[in-house]
Amino acid sequence: MIWRELILPVIVVLAALGIGAYVVAVLDRLIAGTLGMPQTGSAWQAPLARGAWLLTQTANATEAPDWRAWRLAPALYLALAATGLAVVPWSETLVATDLATSVVLWGSVEALATVVIFLHGWSANALFALIGAYRYVALGLSYILVSMFVLIGVALPAESLQFTQVVVSQAELWNVIRQPLGLPLLLIVGLGMTFWGPLNLADSADLAGGTASEVSGPPRLVWDLARAAMLVAFSGVAASAFLGGWLGPWLPGPLWLVLKMLAVLAMLLLLGRLLPRLPPERCVILMWVVLLPLAFVDLVWAGAAAL
Amino acid sequence: MTLMTLLLLAAALIGIGLYGALSQQSFVMLMMGLELMLNGVMLAAVAFWAFSGAGTPEGQLLTIIVMAVMAIEMAMGFALVVAVFRAKQADMTEALSELKH
Amino acid sequence: MSHGIGVDISFFLLAALAVYTGWRVFCTDSMVRASFFLLLSFIAVGAIMILLTAEYLGVAMFFMMAVEMMVMALFMVMFMMNPAGLNPMKMVHQERAAIVAGVIAFTVLSAVAVFSGFPDAPLPAKHAPVVSLGLEMLGDSMLIFESAAIVLLATMIGVVVLSSHRGRYGAADVGSMPPGLAPDGEPAGQPQNEDEDDDEGGGHAHHH
Repeated sequence: MIWRELILPVIVVLAALGIGAYVVAVLDRLIAGTLGMPQTGSAWQAPLARGAWLLTQTANATEAPDWRAWRLAPALYLALAATGLAVVPWSETLVATDLATSVVLWGSVEALATVVIFLHGWSANALFALIGAYRYVALGLSYILVSMFVLIGVALPAESLQFTQVVVSQAELWNVIRQPLGLPLLLIVGLGMTFWGPLNLADSADLAGGTASEVSGPPRLVWDLARAAMLVAFSGVAASAFLGGWLGPWLPGPLWLVLKMLAVLAMLLLLGRLLPRLPPERCVILMWVVLLPLAFVDLVWAGAAAL
Repeated sequence: MTLMTLLLLAAALIGIGLYGALSQQSFVMLMMGLELMLNGVMLAAVAFWAFSGAGTPEGQLLTIIVMAVMAIEMAMGFALVVAVFRAKQADMTEALSELKH
Repeated sequence: MSHGIGVDISFFLLAALAVYTGWRVFCTDSMVRASFFLLLSFIAVGAIMILLTAEYLGVAMFFMMAVEMMVMALFMVMFMMNPAGLNPMKMVHQERAAIVAGVIAFTVLSAVAVFSGFPDAPLPAKHAPVVSLGLEMLGDSMLIFESAAIVLLATMIGVVVLSSHRGRYGAADVGSMPPGLAPDGEPAGQPQNEDEDDDEGGGHAHHH
């Protein structure tokens, strides 16, 4: 009883968090190598080596930072990623948080991520970090809106705000076919929320690292780990919302979900290497003028199909 | 967790919020006091819904309406703060003392 | 409504967190920290709502308040002289009266909570709070729900009009003067007033 309902889901979430973050780092290097970008060291060992190196470094200090917030922010971002993974159903019964409103809970994870990223940049008491934090807040609001409309779209055919019901509703037809606009929009939101690849505007190189510009040592390791873990959580949510989650023939449910998450991750990391970069102000325009109306269209499409 | 303890918690939040709304000089801090009071009101509404309302959905609807009121209060409050700041370059309630005369 | 000991323990921890962070809002030095303390208070109350099985409301509280407090923190940084809380700060007026009012409000409301009898009508054993809320919002109470939406739209328009820089009679900040450092004092930090400031200081050569 307690094993099935408490311990096993916690182990699954923690394993997905740790192994998933490592897989993200390895996949990213493999994709970069395939695309012919210069590589140093083996793709399988380099992330571990970097992690170990960060652990041995001292943590940087700035003048009069808000210590508690500065040290807490990476841990809170990791906790949000864990919350996101907790709502992903691995099978009909194996799900850590089977809340009746788990889709809305994922939406609030996205909203709280904005707060945590702002806190990370603001509390360092440094110029570039603060600019990165402001950039993310300006962009984060549009990410939240786009993802909310997309997720309401998948809740419509399920007639429920529960991820398990959303998966069950895809038994006949996956949402990726039923609502073709939804998955691409959600993938872009995923890249934006973890500020990955071309949408890395909060921690970007033109701000000398943005919100993480003053962070080194173990806190930096936690921050990088949390970003990768959030990407994993995103792949879990996208696989459950659009690719039928645990559903599939022959193989057991959790294995299907892992395969689908890997496919989504590969897609995300490939997009992260191939999409062009935009300056932040143009990115905001793109979000509000192009992607948000597309999210409306997706929602109307889903509503018409559900009728 | 009984109705009484929930209402005591709501009363504490409303009391702290009232203190903040009356004592703070800055408009934004003053609004925080109002928000804290509404926080207590929402908690009390949900508590009554769960313990005295037999689960009628109107209790939850009331909370949703309070949330909408909060959003309206925030938006109007910030718009007024921006307007006052343009005119007086300050966000203190004392900057509007001429409204008394 | 029957619940286990775990629910009780979580409730008391969350209640303590809600009150503590609510109190910290008004005695921290940094405005940004204050708005995030308020967010923590809201999150604790939202979690209590989930304990009360109001699952939609509790989770809605998380994302509504996360965005609201984020906006609040941005306004704090925009308007306050001390957003990072590097200096001690206490900006209050009529504090004693405010404390008395707060204590009286708490006492009266808790007397109501302790001494009055409320009908004992707990949640039915099998009920679906989210489904019933949805049916209510888009059924019997649709008019209320839709009026809230219209009011929100009107608010958005009104807010844009109020805060727009371009007013009906020209720019909104024409003739705007900063307040003095002392009550009824000279406007602070205005470059065109430097000469007058010098007059007060005395001993300076003038070149009018």
